[in-house]
Amino acid sequence: MAESRKPSPPIASRHCDDPKIDYKEVAYLQKFLTPQAQILSRKRSGFCTQCQRELKAAIKRARHMGLMAFVQ
Amino acid sequence: MFLLDNQVVRADWRQAKAMVTDLLAKNGAKVLCARRWDERKLAYPIRGRTRGTYLLAYFEITGTSLNGMRRDFELDERVLRYLMLKVDAIPAGEMEKAAEEGADGYVVPPPPTEEATSPERAVFGDLADRPIQENLRRNAPAEAPEGGDGAEAEVPEAAAAEES
Ligand SMILES: [Zn+2]
Repeated sequence: MAESRKPSPPIASRHCDDPKIDYKEVAYLQKFLTPQAQILSRKRSGFCTQCQRELKAAIKRARHMGLMAFVQ
Repeated sequence: MFLLDNQVVRADWRQAKAMVTDLLAKNGAKVLCARRWDERKLAYPIRGRTRGTYLLAYFEITGTSLNGMRRDFELDERVLRYLMLKVDAIPAGEMEKAAEEGADGYVVPPPPTEEATSPERAVFGDLADRPIQENLRRNAPAEAPEGGDGAEAEVPEAAAAEES
């Protein structure tokens, strides 16, 4: 039980003061989706709370514009 | 950013672009630049379309004109989707790219023809995406002032807006 959850390594490192995550960077955003097109949890993305919020907003915008799928 | 119906784009890109920039201007926006961002296969069918052309524009507008303008874009069936965001500044290179498109001899590649979709599938896609779209719409006005976007800041007097 001690090792029941092994944290998977973060997908990508990101500095909080990097330029804002762009909803138009679809290839980048795609890395943070599960095969079912759900957004990865903060634990799995490796993002801080702020960056994760930015990521979510960007993905939602991309979905709204038909750039990314809601479900796979 | 605006997602435009390829049928309109195929007829004449410049006219399709003018259709958007005219609507912006009509609502008092000052258009700083506008260009064809890309033509793509859509991630899901929208109003029966499987492809579309994205127009990226930056403009200044006062907050009070925004709602009227949204209504105009909602009602225009040539615009499949739009997204407007506050930005601090126009990204580097954006003005140049827009200018290139305006230059003489610039040819816009015509969009490929629609992929074959059965009518049922088109209808299904349309119905399927409607609740989500409405959901987003309802949330959209609240989202901007509340400050999830706050980092995108106010530009003095008129906000520079990117509509996507
Ligand atoms: Zn961060």
